[in-house]
Amino acid sequence: MAALRSSSRLLATASRSAFKPAIFTRSMATVGDATNQAEPKGASDSKMKKFQIYRWNPDQPTEKPKMQTYELDLNKTGPMVLDALVRIKNEIDPTLTFRRSCREGICGSCAMNINGTNTLACLCRIPTDTKDMKVYPLPHTYVVKDLVPDLTHFYKQYKSIKPYLQRDTPSPDGKEYRQSKADRRKLDGLYECILCACCSTSCPSYWWNQEEYLGPAILLQSYRWIIDSRDERLSERKAALDNSMSLYRCHTILNCTRTCPKGLNPGLAIAEIKKEMSF
Amino acid sequence: MASIIRPALLRQTALAASTRSAARVSTSFAQQSVRSAILKDSARCAAFHTSSRRSLLPPGPQVIKGGVNDPAPVPETSPSHGSYHWVFDRVIAAGLVPLTVAPFAAGSLNPGMDALLCSFLLIHSHTGFQNIIVDYVPTTRYPKSRKAAMWLLNLATVTVGIGLYEFETNDVGLTETIKRVWKA
Repeated sequence: MAALRSSSRLLATASRSAFKPAIFTRSMATVGDATNQAEPKGASDSKMKKFQIYRWNPDQPTEKPKMQTYELDLNKTGPMVLDALVRIKNEIDPTLTFRRSCREGICGSCAMNINGTNTLACLCRIPTDTKDMKVYPLPHTYVVKDLVPDLTHFYKQYKSIKPYLQRDTPSPDGKEYRQSKADRRKLDGLYECILCACCSTSCPSYWWNQEEYLGPAILLQSYRWIIDSRDERLSERKAALDNSMSLYRCHTILNCTRTCPKGLNPGLAIAEIKKEMSF
Repeated sequence: MASIIRPALLRQTALAASTRSAARVSTSFAQQSVRSAILKDSARCAAFHTSSRRSLLPPGPQVIKGGVNDPAPVPETSPSHGSYHWVFDRVIAAGLVPLTVAPFAAGSLNPGMDALLCSFLLIHSHTGFQNIIVDYVPTTRYPKSRKAAMWLLNLATVTVGIGLYEFETNDVGLTETIKRVWKA
């Protein structure tokens, strides 16, 4: 099969080179000096779109962050923003830095602020209008480089809620911890969270108090372990949240629910925790 | 890899240049070392402040407590600041609704009811302002301002409390005032 595929690819390249010369636009010589870089314009039916992308380089710490504009032909680009970013990195500017891994919305690496909304670049379609597209890193995060935010504290907070099953009693059959269908259904809408940090970084409360407030993503995970019927540390989990900062900085702004690229509802989960802890 | 090496290189070259220029200007060794120290300091500051400092309450540099793999510290349990406080807040807020409607629905003026409404209003606004201060003046960054803001709030609450008491005892009272304003 592999042999067949490679041979077909060879055929394809051969046929393409027969009609038009191959142009290798990727070269180190184009890096960094121009602020407006565009790929060579092709046929007249090209659909050009400009991408303004936040750039900041830690190697030049005295330089301010800037927006750099790239122009792409949408006819030659995949449908998603991540495709455009990958294409920019491959063909126009290899210094552009961003995280990506699965390209199908399951790893949460490519979370960024696209046209003012936190979302995953791989799940966000490029709008077909002619307006410039603006891409920033996640808001109110410390930026490592370009579109890469520092999520160290986010992960430390995740670790602080002990996101794993804690119990003392062994299972009756010594094999696995069983759960009724109804109990399992309670975890739907919670276990799907991929910790992309889109919701937490869209929350104004988290912007002001991210040192102490856990934020919607971590609280959703916290609730996922609080209502798990197999977990036996309910009181400890609740006690860890019972202070002024960890949970109760949530003011039900619901930016988290609006922005979640996976369609989950962290706002509801936080409300359920508050209800659970109230009486 | 280059990104790891480059800042160090940049700093070295900058320092070398600064010491060279300092040596050219100054004669004594002490002066020279002081000047290079200042230059070094300024270079370090410039490296961290890339954005404008004119913004209101700019965020400080990133502080990671403990190692990268340690969990974030969990605060001490205190339900009086957590769950009890939250429930108390909601009860007061929900209680305000019937208290506001009742005097008009009943059509009678009861000083006890009026006093209850006033005290609920006072507590409601006090906890509300407390929430604002906790949100915007964090203890970790501005411990002194936090304390000052809290005491200012306490002072304001006491003042308003005394004012409401005077108003209730020596004047027509809150419900009657609202009634009159409504008619006017």
